[in-house]
Formats: sequence, C-alpha cells, structure tokens
Amino acid sequence: MSNIAGKAYAMNVVTPIKWYRAWINRLIFWAGGLPFFSSHLKGLTTLSLIHYARWALVSPRQFPRLDESQPKETIKYTYMFFFSNFNGSWNQYVDSFHMAIPAGLDLFWHKNIKYPNSIPLQPFHSYINHNQIWTNHYYNAYPLATSNDIKAAIAVKKKLKKFIELNNFDSPELFQKEYNKLLNDVQEHLNLMEPTPIVSLSAEAVEKRRTADHHRFRNRAASSS
Amino acid sequence: MGNISKNAYGMTLLCPIRQDDAAHSYSNLTRDCLETLPLHDNSPMAKVPNTYLCRLYVLDDVFYQGAPANEEHLKSKYLVFCTNFHGDRDTYLRGMWNAVQEDVKRIWGYCIAFDKVKTAGDFVAYAKQCQVTNSLFFNGSDGGPLDEQLKALYLRQEFTRFAFDNFGKSAVELQQAFREFVAIVQPDNLQTPTWAPGMTQETQQLQYSFHTAARKEEYA
Amino acid sequence: MTVSLELHDIQGNVVKGYGRQHFSFARYILFAIHDERAGRKFIRNILPLITTATPWKTCDNDSGGVPKPEATTNIAFTYHGLKCLGLPESSLHSFPTDFSDGMRARRDILGDHGKSAPENWDPVWNHPDKKVAILVSINGQSTVAIENRYKEIQKILEGVKSGMEQLCGHRGESGAEDLPYQEASAIFNEQGDPTPKEHFGYTDGISNPFFKGTGKNPNLVIGSGKPSRDNPEGWAPIEPGEFLLGYRDESQETPKAPTPPLLAKNGTFMVYRKLHQNVNSFDTYLSNQSTKHPEFNEEEIAAKFAGRWRNGAPITRFPTEEEADNFVKSVKETKKALDNAKDAIELEEAELLYSVLLSQYSAFNYDEDLDGSRCPVGAHIRRCNPRGSLEYGTKAYATPGALTNRRRLLRRGLPYGDSSDRSRDDGNHGIIFMTLGASISRQFEFVQQQWINYGNDFKAANEKDPLLGNHGVDKLGRGNGKMLFQKNKGSDESPYFCSHIPRFVDMHGGEYFFLPSITALHFIGRGTVDGT
Repeated sequence: MSNIAGKAYAMNVVTPIKWYRAWINRLIFWAGGLPFFSSHLKGLTTLSLIHYARWALVSPRQFPRLDESQPKETIKYTYMFFFSNFNGSWNQYVDSFHMAIPAGLDLFWHKNIKYPNSIPLQPFHSYINHNQIWTNHYYNAYPLATSNDIKAAIAVKKKLKKFIELNNFDSPELFQKEYNKLLNDVQEHLNLMEPTPIVSLSAEAVEKRRTADHHRFRNRAASSS
Repeated sequence: MGNISKNAYGMTLLCPIRQDDAAHSYSNLTRDCLETLPLHDNSPMAKVPNTYLCRLYVLDDVFYQGAPANEEHLKSKYLVFCTNFHGDRDTYLRGMWNAVQEDVKRIWGYCIAFDKVKTAGDFVAYAKQCQVTNSLFFNGSDGGPLDEQLKALYLRQEFTRFAFDNFGKSAVELQQAFREFVAIVQPDNLQTPTWAPGMTQETQQLQYSFHTAARKEEYA
Repeated sequence: MTVSLELHDIQGNVVKGYGRQHFSFARYILFAIHDERAGRKFIRNILPLITTATPWKTCDNDSGGVPKPEATTNIAFTYHGLKCLGLPESSLHSFPTDFSDGMRARRDILGDHGKSAPENWDPVWNHPDKKVAILVSINGQSTVAIENRYKEIQKILEGVKSGMEQLCGHRGESGAEDLPYQEASAIFNEQGDPTPKEHFGYTDGISNPFFKGTGKNPNLVIGSGKPSRDNPEGWAPIEPGEFLLGYRDESQETPKAPTPPLLAKNGTFMVYRKLHQNVNSFDTYLSNQSTKHPEFNEEEIAAKFAGRWRNGAPITRFPTEEEADNFVKSVKETKKALDNAKDAIELEEAELLYSVLLSQYSAFNYDEDLDGSRCPVGAHIRRCNPRGSLEYGTKAYATPGALTNRRRLLRRGLPYGDSSDRSRDDGNHGIIFMTLGASISRQFEFVQQQWINYGNDFKAANEKDPLLGNHGVDKLGRGNGKMLFQKNKGSDESPYFCSHIPRFVDMHGGEYFFLPSITALHFIGRGTVDGT
C-alpha cells in the first residue's frame, strides 16, 4: 500500500454510472474547454494542490480484451476511473475541494450511482472511501516538491537565466540595482523545499519500517559480500 | 483535454491479468510484485525518461453500491497503469522498454498476451491495446521536459539560499558572489548539478555553498 | 436562520473569553482518577460550581442573566479520563482518533521535537503510572477569588479520599518542578493594571471567530466572522457547529460526534498547551537583525513577524509605525471620552466612534495586500487565519473563505510567569494556549502542521511561522528559520530577508480534552452514559 510518495498523494476512485448517462458526462468533460465550464477548472487551478488529475469513462466493451481466452465482461454499468496526484493528506484534499468547488465536483460525478453530492461532507467522505482503491506502487519524480513548487521553480529559472544572459553590467552598482529588481520579480518564490510533513501517524509508521528494512537489507548485503 | 494537456501526456492502461489457475493467483502475484518494488529514486520508474508521476495498482473488481444499484462483477482482474509524462506516447513507451525492460517483464509478467511482447515495438502495440482514453486530463503543472523541471527545482532552491546568504552585501561583494554562484550551479547544464528523479533528500553536495570558497566551515 | 445556542447547558469558556471580561487570573489543575466511583462523585460534587455560558448581568445590561461571579470553574476530560470514569466502549470508540491518541502520541504531526518533545515537558505530564484524567480551570477577577474557589475544590477532592489525586509537577518560578497547579495571569503594567500583552510584547487575543448564537454585538462580525460575497459588509457569522457539537457547521451538517448524542451535544474539544517563550532569543534576534540590516527597526521587524504592531494595530491596515501609534492613541482617547461623557449625546457619539475604531483591529482582509508588501505572506496572523487570501484574488471558490472557514481556532488562555529579566530564555514565562473546536485534527492540528510548520498553502514551500514555527538549528548551532518580507511587486526594491531565526517558543506540556455539556456531566457523574 503506497498512496503517498513524498508530497504527492495518489487517489484512485472507480464508480459506476448508467451507460446512457455516461454520455452526458462525456459531453460535460468534452465541454471542459468551454467558458461555462472553465470556472470550475479555474477553481482547480487556484486550489493549486494538483499536479495531474484525470477522469476516464470506460464502458463495458471498452475494458480491454486481448485474447480469446479472456472471458468477456458482462457488466452493464459504465465505470468512471478517477486518478489524482495531489499535495497534502486525503482529508485536506477532500475537505478543500468540497468547500472550494462543490459545484465542479457535482458536475464531474454527475449522476454517478448513489453519488451523494459534495455537500454535506460526511456522505461525500463515505462515498469516496467506499470507492477508493489503494495504489500498490506510486512513483513521484519530485518527492520534495509540490505543484506550487514546480511552477515557482520554472518561473525562477526563466527569470534567473534571463538575468544572467543580460549580465554585462558596467558596474557593480548597476548589477546590484538589476539584481534587486530580479529579487523583487521572484520574491514570492524564494522559499526552501524540505521533506513533506507527515501525512498521518500510520503513514509515518510504514515509512519508518520501510527505512529500517532497507537499512537492514543493505547491511546484510554489505556483510555478506 | 483527453490524453494530452500542455505537452504532458496522461496514459491510462487497463491490462487484463490471467485467470487464476489451481496453483496460482496471478493477480496476487502481480500485486506482490508491485508492493515489493523499490521506492522513490530506487523505483524502476525513476529510470524511465520524462516520468513525472505514475502509479500501478491491481483492480480486483468493481464496487457494489448497495440496493437499488445492480450488483455486478468483473470477469478479469486488471493491472492499472496510470502515468503522467512529458512528450508523446510511443517515444515514452519505447524509452520505458529500453530503460527498464526487465522490470517491465516482471511487472506485466502475469498479464494476458504479454508473453508475446519481445521488443519495444511490441510493447507500444500492447500498450495501445490496453489504453483507455481519458475524458478529461487536468494538468496543474507545466508539462515541460522532466530534466528542465528538475533543474528548475535545483536552481530555485539554490537561488533562494543565495538570496538569503547575500542579503546586505556590498555591490562589489554581491557581484563577485553571484559570479561564483553561476559558475557552481551552471544554469544551462541539465545534467549536473541538478536534482535526481525521485530524490527524497538533498545531499550536502547539492548545496551551492558547499562549493564556495568562503563557507567551508559550515560543512566541517 | 437564527440559531439559539443552549447557553445554560454549554460550559462558559466556550462562549466567553474570560480574560476579556476582567478575569485576569487563572489556575489550571490536573487530576488522576484511581477509582471510578470516586471520580464520578467528584464530578457530581463539582457540578454546582461549573460556570455555564448563561449571559451575565452587567452594569449596562440588566435585562437578564445571572450575576457575574468572582471566579469561574470549568472541567474537561482526557480520553484516559473518560475511560477511568467508566464510559462504555461503544461511546469511547465513537470519539475521534486525534482525541483518543492524545497530544503526546501526535507529536510528529505537531512538530513537538527537541526541547518541545514530551520527555522534556513539565513533570506533571510524565508520571509513569498516573495519567492526566481531568483538567479543572479556575478563572478569577482577583487572586483571592481564585484561592477561595481553589479551596472549595480541595474540599470536594478530600471528599473522595484516595480515589482521585491532584497531580503535582508543574514547573514554576526559580526552578520549581513540583507545583500542584499551573498559575496564569495577565501581565500587569507599572500602574498595576492588567494588560492584554504577552511576553514578547504583543497585544494578544484580539481576533476570535464570531459564530452564530452567542448574542454578541453583531457589528463584531466584520473581520471576525467569515469572509462572504453575499453580505454587503463582506462578512457573515460562522456556523456554531465549527465550535460546538450538535449544531450545523460550515459543511452544512452537524459535525461528527461521539455517541450517544446527549453525551456530545453542547460539548466540544479543547487543546491545552503550555508554550514557553524564549524572551532573550526574541529580543536578541530583533536587535541583531535590525542592527545588521537597518532598513527595518526592531518594532518593524516584530510587526512584520506577527502581522500586527506590538500595540495590536494590524500592519496590513496601518503599514507605518506612526499610523499604528496614532490609531491606538485615538482608541485610547475615545475610550476616555466614553468614560467621561457628560450627557447622552456625548455618550452616544463616543460609543459609535469607539465601536468603529475597535472594529479596525479585526476588520481587514488581504485583498489589497496580495503581494504581502504590507503584511508579509508568512506573517503569524496571516498564516493562522488567512481570511480570504487563499483565493489569491480570483473569486474562484464557492466562498472566499473556502479553505479557512473550517480551520478557525477559538482561542482561550492567558500568559504565565514573569519575564522582567530579559537576559535569559530559561525563566518561567510563556502562555497557556487553549483552543476550542469541534475537530482537533481539522482545526488545531491542521493549523499547527500545515500553516505554522509548513507553507505550501501560501505557496511558500516549507517556510514556517517566524514566531511559533519549530525552527531547527544549522551545523553551526544557529536557528535555521527563514522569512522574507515582500515589497511592492513591480518596484525595484529587494525584499527584506531574515535568516537564522531560532525557535522562539518551546512546548512544555499539554493534552487534548473533551469539554462536555452540563447535561453530559450529569450523565458521566451518575455513570448512566449508555449508547444502546
């Protein structure tokens, strides 16, 4: 079980929806780029807790069948697969989203079987809990960074490189003046990244056991060689 | 929308796992394999070029929602691979095959029809068969090449340190220090110094001041 | 929707900030329970002394209520305490994990490490076989009132003989390690009047959440309620379920609560933390930093750290020391005019002006200060209550306080000790920090972990609260805290950098408590709690 990799949490939710309703959802997602919809994505962007998220609607015949030996799926519902890579704990994420963009969530899960709406919180919690699948292996290229950190880093890199390229300053005083301007330009990004705060006591306990096992394994390997 | 957003690709694969036989549960074997993969910078996925974040899980079944919903069950179990990367799908899959072929064979070893995958091309063809299209792919990041992102993280971290360390310096000292900083951090060099994919801790060597002439005492 | 709280059933400290109502002294007493029957008898006997939230008759309001007492008494229980009192398993299991774990077990969430680690807490928290079960708090208008009430409680304790024990081991003046209770009191000025100051010199306790049903002056909602786009003044009262079990909360439901409902309703959870203040480190840091980087003086750095000038004026509204001083001066003058008003017209004028002025302590948002050039993004009060600022000016959320409304802290507590000797850190001085709310993990722990000891919600990576953050030390033994004071975005000015911030506050002991209603106290006392 490994829903956590550094500052990212992997959430998987699989929920049924009637096939003829799923077409409405496809339309909703397709309309994602249209103005009436973009306000919900604006909420997602402002929340700024997600690296990447996706929704995939899979009808019964879209479940891959690779071989005659594989039995045909006999399910009737279409299933919505949701995957999110977000920063923070499960509670933090679900709580923030349900408060910030309740209408957006209700649109994404529109007419899913027994979806309770995102407000109030407790039925919504139960719905997600019931339909969540634990990740068996989760990899994150930047465990020390959040989505905010990556965006900040890219902004700093661009501005810093531009500053260096222009760097034919005649005098140290001129350099300093331009340097101060640069600092002002990137002031909201000048923070240090460190390991994540613990996500929960149980996650921390698992992490500790894994680290201990890893050391034991390494020591044994070292002593036997 | 769909699978691509701002140069990032979101690939979703549902890979059917072989039916259990009398002696083996292939889904359990697959899950065991996933659960014992090394993590973070030791994960095989750390070696796969341009992988931002990815996950693998075994889908045993769908969930019953309780009456009046219909109860239904899957006939197969699926290995679900959800990966977010920079670039196009086929290049990525080839890169993955070339980088960690042995791990791929182990992870997908109990999947239907995977025994026919022998080359990078086969792997691409196999993945296409297992791919489901996303209805919506949200990119909350920038979708640039991973080495650019990692270098950016490194530069932001070190420039932050530099800005704090050199606050209040005279113009002459500042310019000198900045030249030294640029020489150490090499902003255009994507290979080094930079953050390693999957890195969970910074080493001393990554800190720019470790390499400056003046600050050696801190690292004594 | 008008909400009326069952004030007679709610313990007084939930609704009343005693410190603001001339109760300048407090005493906190911890007990262990050795025998269930004795524990229940103690509760039954102390019940008549428990102060409820029933309004007090005051000189300007004789419309109803009970006379204001000289001393108040409130009682709260740890999970262990409820167990000792014989609550059935079904009820015990229905309490949230944060509470049943207790504060010690959750130190890694709270960042209570190093000098703040449980093994370094006051000995009262570290008795190997005597765990804290009950907290009784007395607030008094005088030390005499405290002592009298304390004696009454001692008598009740004697009545249960060896079945209960008052735990010793609070640290105090001159190295005392084994005191039988924790004293706290406002800091008094040279004239002998109580002040709202804490030991770093800040005016404390200015802003507390305004929630429905307390009967408080509705004008106070501005700045103390939740930011709102639906109300013309821009603020609305918070739902009471954020602070009391059994009422509607900000998620439009009644909060998750232990069973049976009569055990939970009108009760809430309480966090108790003894926070030691390293006054010498604080003074020294301000002095060194302002000497080394004189762009800001000591007062200005202190203000940027807190988000308020030490006189209490919010820096986002009063960006210069002069403006802040003038503001506080006019508050004081108006108060004087109010007290000396000769006729009804003068009184009315002064009252109006005074309430307008007072509201300016809290009536602000960060909409005009998104870049943090006045109040830094990482300043203490902006972290602990970001108001609408986590919407980053976008109006993208269903409500501007979407990420804040469920994280509000109702703060109680008082300073303790004396810090007139500023030459050392290790004296007896700090604050007894108490906060009340319907969920310890969603409110207090979240704020402590995510907003005080971390910064991602402010896009500030791992940066910590300058004042309360658990800053570590670098290889040379210096503090490793960092903070940046932003400047006007787009100007040529460099931001101002503070490096090597040491830990200014250490944790010296605490626990999570359940603060039941009067009804629940009766059930617990009689031993009749039953969820079936």
